[in-house]
This record gives sequence, structure tokens and C-alpha cells, in this order.
Amino acid sequence: MELFLMTLTTGIMVGGIYALVALGWVLIYKCSGVLNLAMGEMTLIGAYVSLSFYSMGVPFLLALAISLIIGFVLGILTERIFLDKLIGEPVLTVIMVTVGLSFFFKGTVEFIWGTDTRVFTPPVFSIEPIHIGPLIVGQVYLWSFVAAIVLLIVFVCFFKYTRWGLAMQATADDEMAALSVGVSARYVYAAAWAIAFMAAGVGGTLLGNINGLNISVSYLGLLVLPAVVLGGLNSVPGAIVGGIIIGVLQNLCGTYLDRYFPGAVKEIAPFAFMAIFLLFKPYGLWGWERIERV
Amino acid sequence: MSTTWLPCGVYHETYAQDHAWWQTRFICGKMVLLAVLLFGVIPFFADSYELSVCNQIGYTILGALGVQLLIGFCGQITLGHAAFLAVGAYTSTLLILEFPWPAWMMQWGLAYPISIVAAAIVAGLWSVLFGLPSARVKGFYLILTTMAAQFITVDFIITQYISQIGGRGQAFSLPPGTIKVGPWVIDSDLKVYFMMIVLVIGCVTVLANLLRSRAGRAWVAIRDNDVSAEVMGINVVKYKLLAFFVAGFIGGIAGAFWISNLAAVSPEHFPWFWSLWLVGVILIGGVGSIHGAIFGSIFMVAIMELLQLAVMPLADSFPKLLMDFLFIKEAAFGLAICMFMIFEPNGLAYRWWQGKNYFNLWPFSY
Repeated sequence: MELFLMTLTTGIMVGGIYALVALGWVLIYKCSGVLNLAMGEMTLIGAYVSLSFYSMGVPFLLALAISLIIGFVLGILTERIFLDKLIGEPVLTVIMVTVGLSFFFKGTVEFIWGTDTRVFTPPVFSIEPIHIGPLIVGQVYLWSFVAAIVLLIVFVCFFKYTRWGLAMQATADDEMAALSVGVSARYVYAAAWAIAFMAAGVGGTLLGNINGLNISVSYLGLLVLPAVVLGGLNSVPGAIVGGIIIGVLQNLCGTYLDRYFPGAVKEIAPFAFMAIFLLFKPYGLWGWERIERV
Repeated sequence: MSTTWLPCGVYHETYAQDHAWWQTRFICGKMVLLAVLLFGVIPFFADSYELSVCNQIGYTILGALGVQLLIGFCGQITLGHAAFLAVGAYTSTLLILEFPWPAWMMQWGLAYPISIVAAAIVAGLWSVLFGLPSARVKGFYLILTTMAAQFITVDFIITQYISQIGGRGQAFSLPPGTIKVGPWVIDSDLKVYFMMIVLVIGCVTVLANLLRSRAGRAWVAIRDNDVSAEVMGINVVKYKLLAFFVAGFIGGIAGAFWISNLAAVSPEHFPWFWSLWLVGVILIGGVGSIHGAIFGSIFMVAIMELLQLAVMPLADSFPKLLMDFLFIKEAAFGLAICMFMIFEPNGLAYRWWQGKNYFNLWPFSY
């Protein structure tokens, strides 16, 4: 029972990070209809930037802020240079451009920072675990979860209460109507990419704090896909819930199924689960069902 | 862009002429030249390195044909094709290594050809298994299930279970002399080259003919609009699964062929990168044409080799470049795809088609 609870808490806490990245993904999809497969590499860039600054002696929060700023700039640049020219192109074209971007980012990151695992030295969060009732939780997990939740709340408030957030919601809802009331769709797309880049950077940094940072952190970008599919592609709450569910599922499978299927069950389980889930609920939990007509 | 205009003054008097592959003497001459080039010039004048590049191209073509069928002709986007290549390669390897072949079959070199056929069928069926969700989902969701196919097949089943068979550890090495087609032991680049040419021509011919049959027309109808295809009485699920089967079949042939060129078969030969690479190849070549798969393969492999040649001389002064060449290659591949999608979305095959029409219709191209 204790093991189960421990696994569950760890799952929820890692899931918070997934939720953060998934939010960025859904944001791009909702606003501009781009299915982004470069998310994992975006997390890598943000994580490596903050790690570089941190190892230069910059305080962690400042390093994180710098990586946010760089993520913001890179997001806008990416949208302007690559994605802006593809508005109205077929789905496959856009997807493959993001795949191309992912290779480009990954190759660049590997070229600059190499493939060895790096850790945040000195550790940002103390290794001393915290006892909550019967549960023992690593501080890294706890603080990552708190940071992810805080950011999620910040993002959600941004959409609800600021002018920019409302413009983004309007564009996601109905682009034509938004254009007609004076929302600039191009700025909204750029903002969506910038926010996604920032969210991905924070997610990558937090995950890098937990496991150390190497190229496999970009696997996070693939894990996001089951999460968003689970929640429905165009639902922000769906992305958050989906991210947490995937985190829990992954940890439960890692704990209980590893005995029966030794090896990589933790990595495969979300995808297998997703493939089966899709057969029964093709639009996820809260996705819009599209009715097709000829 | 599928029809190429014929020059003025070519008339067809029978249906057989109208449906012929090579409709003018000029085209026949071109094809004879191509055959001479493939069978007479390249094998005898290319050195071992150039032949191995050709083999790489042939393997990429075989892999890309299946992707082209699924994406370009049936509209089912797949990002997990390397899984079916892997299934083909592993089926063939395991059959050769573990199956109790009678001595006379080994003697006559039947084991490898039979294992290729078996590998193709197994890969086809495996592909149908992962094509089943296409009955219910499409678009992005289908992409995700094909990705799941890649991770489940290569990273889980093959790495964790299939690789343990026979206790050989991670890689299956094929003893020399076991890969034998008829009287020939496939042990040099030249022999691999001839096998590659035969397989590529065979697969291209079969696929091209399949595409102008009932099944091919059904696939194109599904690609263009699956709802109206269903309204017209096409059994959408059946033809989608047939497309997955044929694509997996060709993929299985590709995988089984490639083991003749590998010293040892291991899961690292079939990463997710390779699936994406194959999709990149057909996008650069041109979606929806068999030429596209061929041009894309030639272009991508040749460009990467040229990039390598360009980096080599620089390596003396910048050793980091050589060490990290893999990463440069990855970044270059990514950038190439982006640039092609943005500036040349119709691919190389479109330019080829334009050029042909220009010369066929010259001087009055209207």
C-alpha cells in the first residue's frame, strides 16, 4: 500500500511537469493548428541554456529567467522563419516541418553541448527527502511539482484575464471572427510559439534537475503526445489532466509491470495505452468531435 | 501532375497502346539507356565505395516505396515504417539462423530467397495489425498509432524479447556464406548491388502496376476524400488495410535485403530516426509519385555522402567536426526538410515532370 502511494505521488509530481509541456503543445495546436513534433527538442534547448548559465554561477532562478527570455526569442524566431510561411498548407507538410525543426534543434544541441549526461552542480534542491505523513518525497520532485503548478496557474490566468490571453482564446475559437474584431492572428501565432517554448524550457529544466540532463530528456516531447491525445487535442484542462494521468500511469507500470515485462515497459506503456485508448475514444476526453461531411 | 503530355503526333489506335508503359520510341530508348547504365556501366566502373553508396540508395528506395504508397497514394500518414523493415530483417535472420533447413536447400541457395518471401509476408501482416486503428482514427491520431508501432516493435518486442532468442546477446551476426541466392554467395558489394537492382526493379514494377489497378484507384480515392470514397462504394477499411499490407510487404523485402549488407543485425539499425528519414525522403522527392521515392532516395543519400566528403578535409584542422559529424548530418537533414517544405513543396518529382513536359511540348507549350 505504501509502495502504491509512493508511486502515485511520484507519478503525480512528474505528471505536473508533463502537464506544463503539454500545455505548451496544446496552445500551439489550438491557436494555429500546428501539430508540433519538435516539443522535445524545445525542452532540450531551454534546459541546456539554463544549465549553462547555472554552471557559470548565475543563481538558479535568474538562470531560469534567462532561459525563459531566450525561449521567448527563439519561439518568435521559429514561428517567423519557418511556420509563418506554411499557413494553409496540408497537415503532413506542417508536421514534417516540425520534424525537420526537431532534427535541426537536436543536431545543434548535440553539436554545442555534446551527448554526455550533465547534472546541475551544485544541486539546486537539497537531496534530503521530506516526510509528509507516511510518505517520503524527494525535494526535487516536490519543488518541481510546485513550480509546474505555479506556472500552470500563471498561464491559465494569463489566458483568462489579460488582453493577449483573450486574443489567443478568440483566435483558437474562431480565427475568422477574431480577425474581424481586430485581433492580429500573426501576433497570436508568434505568442503561442513563444509561450510554448518557454513552457518547454521550464519543463526541461525541472526534469533535468530530477534525472540529470542529456539528450534523452527530449523523450519528454514524445511523452507529451499521449498526454494531449488522452485529454483531447484542443483542450487546455485536458492537457493538464492528461499529463498527470500519463505521469501516474508511467510510474505505476514501472513499479508493477516491470517484473513481468523486464526492460523498457516504462517508456512503452504510455504509447501502448494511447493506441488502445484511441480505439475506444478517438477524440480523447474533452476534444472536439468533428462531424465530417462530403 | 500525374499525366505527362505526349509530343504532338503520337496517336493511339488500340487500348493496348493507350495503356502501354513506354509509349514512344524516345521513351523506349531512354529506358534502354537506363538499363545499360544500371547493368553495364555502374557495376563495372564503380569502385567498392560507390557501389556501397548505390546499395544504400537502393535500400532507401525499397523502404521509401512503402511509405510512398501509404502517404502518397493512400493518404495514411505513417511515422513508424522502420518497424516493418526491422520485422522483415529479423524474420529473415531468424529463419536463416534457427530454421532447420534441409541440406539440399542450403546447397541450392534457397534458404535466403525463401526467408525474404517469408519476411515480406510477416512484415505485411505485422503492418496490418498496426493499420487496424486506421479503421477508426485518421490524421494526427493515426500518426500517433504508427509511432506507437515503432516504439512497441523495435524498442520493446525486438530489443527485449527477439534479441534474446538463441542467447546471442544484442546483435545477430550472420556467418559468412549463409546468405546465398542460388549458386551465388552474396559477399561483395557487387553482388549486393545486383540483388538490389533486381529487387528495386521488381518492387517498382509491381507497385506501379498495382497503382493502376482497381486497388490503386481505390487508394487514390481514399487519399483524396475518404468519405466520398465510401459513398462511392469503396470498402475503405479493406483497402486501407491492403495498403498497409503492401507497404509492410515491401518494407519486409527491404529489411530482409539489407541484412545481406550488414555484418550483424541489431535494433540500432532501425531507429525512429529512420522512419522519419523515409518520410523526409518522399517529401523531398515528391509525394504521390514513384519517381518521388527514387529521386528523394538518390538526393538524400548522395547529399549526405557529399556532406561527408566536404567535412573530411576540414577535419584535419577541426577534429570536432569529424567527431560530431552525426550531429551535423542530423541538423542538415532537418534543415533540408524545412527548406524543401517551404520553398519546394511539390518535391523533385514535380520539377522532373515539368522538364519532361517542357521538352515534349516544345516549342508550343500551351
